[in-house]
Parts: sequence; structure tokens; C-alpha cells
Amino acid sequence: MGSLVLEALSKRYGSSTAVERVDLEVTQGEMVALLGPSGCGKTTTLRMVAGFIPPTAGRVIIGGQDVTHTPPYARDTGMVFQSYALFPHMSVAQNVAFGLEMRKVGRAERDARVMEALRLVRLDHLADRLPRQLSGGQQQRVALARALVVNPAVFLLDEPLSNLDAKLRGEVRMEIRALQQRLGLTTLIVTHDQEEALTMADRLVVMERGRVRQVGTAEELYEHPADPFVAGFVGRCNLIPGRLEAADAFRAESGALLHCDSGAAPGPAPTGAALLALRPERIGLAPDPAGRARITAVTYLGAQTEYHVEQDGTALLVARPTAPLGDPLRRLAVGDAVVLSWDAAAARLLPAE
Amino acid sequence: MAALVLPAGLLVVMLLVAPMALLARISLNRFSPTELMVEATTAENYWRAVQDPYYQQVLGTTLGVALGCTVLALALGFPAAYWLARMESRWKSLATILVLFPLLVGNVVRSAGWMALLGNEGAINAALMGAGITGGPLPLLYNGGAVVVGIVAVVLPYMILTLAAVIEGIPRQAEEAAANLGGRPMTVFRRVVLPLALPGVVAGSVLVFILCMNAYATPVLLGGPQFKMMAPAVYDQFVRGNNWPFGAALAFILLAVTLVLTVVGSTLLGRRYRAA
Amino acid sequence: MTTTRRAALTGSAAALASLTAGLPGLARAQSKQVVVGTWGGDYGELLRQNIDQPLVVPQGIEVLQDIAVADPRKTKLLAERQARRGTYDIACLSDTDMHMVAAQNVFEPLEMGKLKRGSAILPALAKPYAVPHIYSALVLLYNPSKVTTPPTGFADMWDPKYRGRVGFSDILYSTNTFSAAMAGGGSFSDYEPAKKKLMEMRSLDARIYPSNEALAGALKSEEVWLTPMWLARGFMWQKAGIPVKHVVPKEGAYAIVFEAAIPKNSRNKDNAYTYLDAMLQPSAQAAFADRMGYLPTVKDAPLPAAIAQQISLSEAEQERLRAPDYDYLLKSHSEILDFWNKQFKA
Ligand SMILES: Nc1ncnc2c1ncn2[C@@H]1O[C@H](COP(=O)(O)OP(=O)(O)OP(=O)(O)O)[C@@H](O)[C@H]1O
Ligand SMILES: [Mg+2]
Repeated sequence: MGSLVLEALSKRYGSSTAVERVDLEVTQGEMVALLGPSGCGKTTTLRMVAGFIPPTAGRVIIGGQDVTHTPPYARDTGMVFQSYALFPHMSVAQNVAFGLEMRKVGRAERDARVMEALRLVRLDHLADRLPRQLSGGQQQRVALARALVVNPAVFLLDEPLSNLDAKLRGEVRMEIRALQQRLGLTTLIVTHDQEEALTMADRLVVMERGRVRQVGTAEELYEHPADPFVAGFVGRCNLIPGRLEAADAFRAESGALLHCDSGAAPGPAPTGAALLALRPERIGLAPDPAGRARITAVTYLGAQTEYHVEQDGTALLVARPTAPLGDPLRRLAVGDAVVLSWDAAAARLLPAE
Repeated sequence: MAALVLPAGLLVVMLLVAPMALLARISLNRFSPTELMVEATTAENYWRAVQDPYYQQVLGTTLGVALGCTVLALALGFPAAYWLARMESRWKSLATILVLFPLLVGNVVRSAGWMALLGNEGAINAALMGAGITGGPLPLLYNGGAVVVGIVAVVLPYMILTLAAVIEGIPRQAEEAAANLGGRPMTVFRRVVLPLALPGVVAGSVLVFILCMNAYATPVLLGGPQFKMMAPAVYDQFVRGNNWPFGAALAFILLAVTLVLTVVGSTLLGRRYRAA
Repeated sequence: MTTTRRAALTGSAAALASLTAGLPGLARAQSKQVVVGTWGGDYGELLRQNIDQPLVVPQGIEVLQDIAVADPRKTKLLAERQARRGTYDIACLSDTDMHMVAAQNVFEPLEMGKLKRGSAILPALAKPYAVPHIYSALVLLYNPSKVTTPPTGFADMWDPKYRGRVGFSDILYSTNTFSAAMAGGGSFSDYEPAKKKLMEMRSLDARIYPSNEALAGALKSEEVWLTPMWLARGFMWQKAGIPVKHVVPKEGAYAIVFEAAIPKNSRNKDNAYTYLDAMLQPSAQAAFADRMGYLPTVKDAPLPAAIAQQISLSEAEQERLRAPDYDYLLKSHSEILDFWNKQFKA
């Protein structure tokens, strides 16, 4: 067991850059998720940690030891592949035993640990099956058991849930998180599903085009996104271009004047072109024939209802918990006039890109 | 449907079965120097071939060469096939064509190439003597070694392509998973790649073994007059000796031995695979 | 027009040939054509240059050469002997092979009326089933700078001085066996003594080469000093700078005659007779003598003096030459081959 440190880790393929100077520290027992759009370098980063891809520059340090030039078999990482990568010619038990055999663990201890690992993922009754005789979710759990049984210093997961259906995904997600916490595993998980990242990880790393945009807890990223990309990628966000006119007034490019609190965020408020970030669920909305905002679309989503609203040439998305039947909000329709309201502190100012 | 299949089926029977049936019939006839072939139904040709120490030796040589070439082709072909199968796709078709390239040249022409290389006045001896390393020419041509080299060069593409097709189907991630779990490269090869490639090893070895057992041009041209394998011996009986019945019997013995060894070999290997 | 078709023939293909030969619809265009089954190389080339092009094509006959060494063509002739339509209109073979195939009733007895040049043939070479095209004598070739006392007969090959220096061409197994028989006191009709002599030769480290060309290479590099061979070959090799001289062995030897015949199932018999006539033309005969060193088989083909001196045989030498005993060879052929393969070469 140990911590994982990445120092200025980079990978270039010819002139194109897959990963650019990634710095990251995952402390003992912590679970960190790499999150970002497709092609942003998540898998490349993970595979550099496992040792399958030699970095162009930078260092990988596991448990205080520089393993940048250590071959994969000597790194003590336990990886769960997106495709599971079970050995098709070995039974479930043989698959799980493989890592222990490589570590020259004696027969009796090996058998005991294999069964223990299989019990952990509730597959001890299928130990003699071949992988092709298992369902996708079962195969996934064998892959987990196989990686866990060797007590790896670092646990690596590359989109472990993407081949499962939505319901199973939810269950396995909780299982992995529970196991990780129970065993105190230092874990790096790759996902492009933000819900997955938010529910499983202690901290999230948002990447874009090979670079780290922001590292933080789910709450930090949601409440205090460092830039418009993070604001837009973690949760949804209205991003309104314009500039700050006064400490509490933001002039949108469309001309609308929106109130805000430039002191709410740490650091100096941006001068010049900026973006006002406003979460849809932080905007209040009330029917008012005199209101300056107009409804352009209403989407009923069950627990929530979303309203597309236009005010002074600025389009905004508003999300409200669906009001009870009979409430005036339920009768709102396209073209109706409304009044929008929000807490000045909820409107964050971000530098324009 | 039957109307469509029937003529084609008949043609296949014509092309595959008829010559074999004819050959089988001929093998039961009796040879006569003056009349060539006398209608008979006798097993004496088979009996004579089986008992004759000369043909026992020829069959032994053939088996030795075929087994040796198969093992060599496997040993040389596996790394090449692995490399080919794991190659980036844009280079793969080019490399596949390169592997196939030797097959564009017939065995006779290719053997002529080997002769130009290995002969007493061939390139290798000329170079060795030119450099003063050897005083006279080394006997590189007209021996079993030359035949093995020549045949391996012929069958290697078949082995490589058969293996590569199977290795391509082995997920690279299975190898990575094994390495990740602490398997060194040789262990990964032995425990993961080889067992998964075994169907290809069986198929490739069977194919190559059959080709080697029936090699004709290479043993004739590179083995020289004193080196005899079965296919040239069969040809000799038909064409030089005009002894068709005996030649046909030899051909069937070659066929039977090849068939039995192929079935036994692939069953044994296949059993190993299921046990693994 | 002259085209070349190559015939590759294996054992099973030979069996198949007998099946397909009788198939209708596969026949070639029936315009004026003649298919000549012949050797390739010099022989085929000289046929083309001196017979096909100048003599046959002008008569409006298309010549197709079907090229292969003798053995597969022999096999094909035998395989097709019962078929209605054969591959060849003309079959070129050596006299021994021709006799063997003729014994199986493959050839048309020649109608002398159709053969205009029939009367020019040397009477000693005339056969009822084949026309002699060219001939040469079996001699002993030796390297004069290594074999300083000129040999006189086949027996000299067994001199222990020449251990490892005697070479044989594998395809001439029958002729080689003959030389051993004569050296061992045998005769044209008794090759039995060859067995002992060949085994002696084996222990004298005789070398065997897969082809005449390979043997020529060995003579040239002086790896081999002595070999039984056709005089005509010796002449060609000498011209190519290979150091050899020849002697007609005192034990006696035979002439080899290259002959041409018409298979019974030829589809163009008239054209075939035209072709045979062309083969006997003096100009064609002289060309083969000049290029390959073979002697003309007709009375009226004059040789240039320089060539005649090199390839002609003296009275005394001609005395020592006889025709092989074809019937003996026919009967003993497989025994000769078996001994050569199994005992001598083993
Ligand atoms: N072998 C390679 N050669 C060249 N470019 C590569 C190679 N492997 C990856 N890349 C590039 O590097 C970038 C990062 O790839 P990576 O697989 O790490 O993305 P990812 O974040 O895992 O995406 P996804 O969510 O789609 O899996 C991509 O732009 C990709 O095209
Ligand atoms: Mg990825």
C-alpha cells in the first residue's frame, strides 16, 4: 500500500500531445477519479502509471519509489481493464490465482486468498467456471477480485463500468467504492461519466486536451469551478459572456444587467471580458405578467422541470423541482412572462477563455 | 438447390476423388517390364515397400526432415507471427505482403536461388574463399541441411500467416493484465500467449508438416542425387521406373503415414490445450 | 508462329492426364498445327531456329513446342496411349526411350511414302517407328592436365589414382551402369558385372551430380576429372572452355540416337510428316552439328571440315560402337534403376 505521485507527467506522440505535464498526488487510501471528455488523456495517464506506456517526460512515484522506468510486472499496481481482460483459457479461480502465483505464494495460502477474494465479490460459487460462462457483471467482479487479491500498492480502474447496463452500473459502483474503502486502497479511476466520478471518488481531476484543469472534491468543483470548462463539465451551468460593471452588477453582451457578488469567490475579480456562471438550479422563477423574462421552452423531467428562458437577449436554463399540482408554476407555458431571481453569491465570475 | 449443388459436387468428386480412386486401383496392379502394368488385385506392392529397408530409410528421412522443418518453422515463425499480429495496422498489410512475397516464386526457381547461394561456386563459398577464411569450397549444397533450410524457407510463410491470424485474436489486454499481475515477459508468453495461440500452433504445424512430407522440388534440387525423400521416390517410380503400381503404393503409404501422424499430433496438442 | 508451352507433370497429374486426354471440347484449334514434345534448352532452341522458323512455318503450319525433360514426356505418352486424342504430334526421345515407348504400341509405323527424305537416312540408323534426328557416341571424357596418361577404356575410371575424381550424371544412370558393366567384363546384354564395379566405385568416392549441367560445373572447376558422356556434350563443353578430351573406350560403347516419332493418336499426322522431313533437311542437320556437336543422320549433309574433325569418329573408333540391346534394357530397366538408387547411391 502506498501513495501515488505524478510529477509533470507528459506523453507526446510525434507532434501531438496526449498528456501534458500532469501533476497529481493520491494519498494512501484515497480514491481519485480522472474525468474529462473523450480523448483528453485519461487512459494514457493511467497506462503510464501501470507502466504500459513510457512517459515522454515526468515521473511516476509509487509508495515513495520512483517507478518511471520500472517494467509493468515490477510495479505492484492492480489494474481493472475496461474489457476486463480475463484469461479466457483459465477458470475464475485460476484467473484470480495468477497474480499470487507470480508472487510465489504457497499453494495453501493461495487457495485461501483466492476464495476470500471471490467471496468478497460474491462469486465463490462460480470458482470453476470459465470466463465465457459468466455474465458481464460477473466477469467484471472477477477482474476486480483478480486485481485486489494481490493487495496492490495502487489500484487502477479504466472505465470499469462502461460495459455494464445502467442498473448494474449503479450497484457495482457502490460495491467498488465499499471495497476500496474497506481495504483502504489507493485508487485511480478513469471515467468520463461525471455522476460516476461524483459518487465514487474522494477527489476528482478534470482533464482537457491532456492538461489538468482542476483538482478537488466534488463540492469544490461544483461550487467553485476554476474556469468555464470545469463549470460546464461538472454539472450544468449557464455561462453568460460580458463584463463586470460594478462590484454587484454584470453587463451581459446582450445588454442585460445581471446582479452578482464579485467578492464571493477568493482572489481578485476579473477585469475586462468575463463569464458569469450561474447553475440552473440556483435560479428562482415566478410567474409575473410584468416580468422581463419570457419562457421559450418547458421540459418536464419528473422530479425536475426545466425552463428555457430569455431575458433581454440572454438565454438561460432554469431547473426547478417540479411544483405540486395546482401550483401556478405548473401552468407556465411558452410565451409566459416570468421574473427570475438568484442569490448574488451563487453567480460566480469566471475569466473569459 | 440440389440442381445447383449437384454439378459442382460432381466436379469436386471428379477433381479430388477420381484421381485418388484411380491411383488406389493402380496400386493393386502388378508391374511388368514389357507390358508396364498388368491388371491384378494384389497387395504385393505395399508389402514390398513396407519390407524394403531402402524405403523404410526414405520414409525415415522424410519423417525426420518433416518433423525438423515443422519444429524449426514453429520456432522461427512464432516470433515473426507475433510481431506481425501486433503490428500497427497501417504497416500490417505491407508486412503481410512481404511475408507472402516468397510464395510468388515457385519452388523450383527458389531452389535455384538457394543453389546459387550454397553451391561450390555459390555466393557463400565465393565470399568465404575470397576472404581467405576457407581454402576450398564447403559442401553446403546436396545434403540434408540444405534441404531443411530450403523447405523451412518455403513453409515459413504458411506458418507465420496461420499463427498471426490466431495471435491477432488474442486480446493484447490479456497480456497486459498478466504483466500487471507480475508476469515477466517469458511467463506471460508461456502462461497466456502460447496456450491461447495453441489452435494456431496446431493448425500451422499440421499444414506445414503435410507440406514437408510431400516436398518434391526442394529435396530433388537441394538434396542432390543421394538424398531421397518420399515424394521424389514416388515420382521416380512413376516417371523413371515406369512402375506405376509400386509408385501408387508408395504414394498411399506416404498419405497414410502423414494422415495418422497429423491426427495423432493434433489430438495430443489439442488435449494439452483443453487441460491447460 | 512458334509458341512454347510448358508442361509440368507429376505422378498424379500423369494419372489424371489419361482421364482428361479423352475429354472432348478441350481440343486446340484445328488449323494447321503441329505439337512437338521436346527438350527445352539448346535442343528446343535449335529446333526453333533451324526447323520450325525456316522450314515448317513457311508452309503455313504453326509449331507448338511442349517442353519437358524426357521422363515426364515418356510418362505422358504412356498415360495417353489409350486416349483417342494425344498431346503430341511429334515425340522427340533418345533411341532407348523411344524403343521402350514403342514397345507399348504408342507410335504409328512410319509410312515411307509420306516421308520424302526417308531415302536419305543412314541405313544403320533407320527404324520402323522413328526417324533418327541426330546422333553421337558414348565416350569417356577426361581432363588432360590432371589425367596425364590418356585413358583407354572405362576400366581406367577404377584406377585408385582417381579416387574421388570420377563423376556421374544422375540422369544417365543407365549409361553409367553400362560403363561399369563393360569395365567389369559384362556386355551389351549383360549388366550384371556392373553391380560389383559400381560398389567398388562407391568405395572410391565417386561423385554424383543431379544433372549434366551440374557435372559440367564440376568438370570446369576440376573437382571431377573423368566421366562417361556423349561426345557431342564433350564438344559443347570444350567450346565453353571446359578442359576435357575424349576417348572411345576400348571395351566398346554405343551410339545414342535422338529420334522423332508420330504417336498413333496424333491429330495432325500430315503436318507431323512435314515436320519429320524438315528435321532431315541437310541445313538443319548441319546446324545441330555446328552448335551441339551431334552427327548428321542423313547421307547428304556435309559437315565443315573443322567440325567434322572434332566430332567425327575414325574407322577404328566406329568399329567399337554398336547399338544398345534395347530388349535387354527394356527388361532390366527397373532393376538397373533400383540398383543405382538403392545400392550405389545409398
Ligand atoms: N498510440 C497513439 N498514437 C498517437 N496518438 C495517440 C495514441 N494513443 C492515444 N493517442 C491520442 O492521445 C489522446 C489521449 O488518448 P486517451 O486514450 O488517453 O484518451 P481518453 O481520455 O482515455 O479518451 P476516452 O474517454 O475516449 O477513452 C487522444 O487524442 C488520442 O488520439
Ligand atoms: Mg480511455
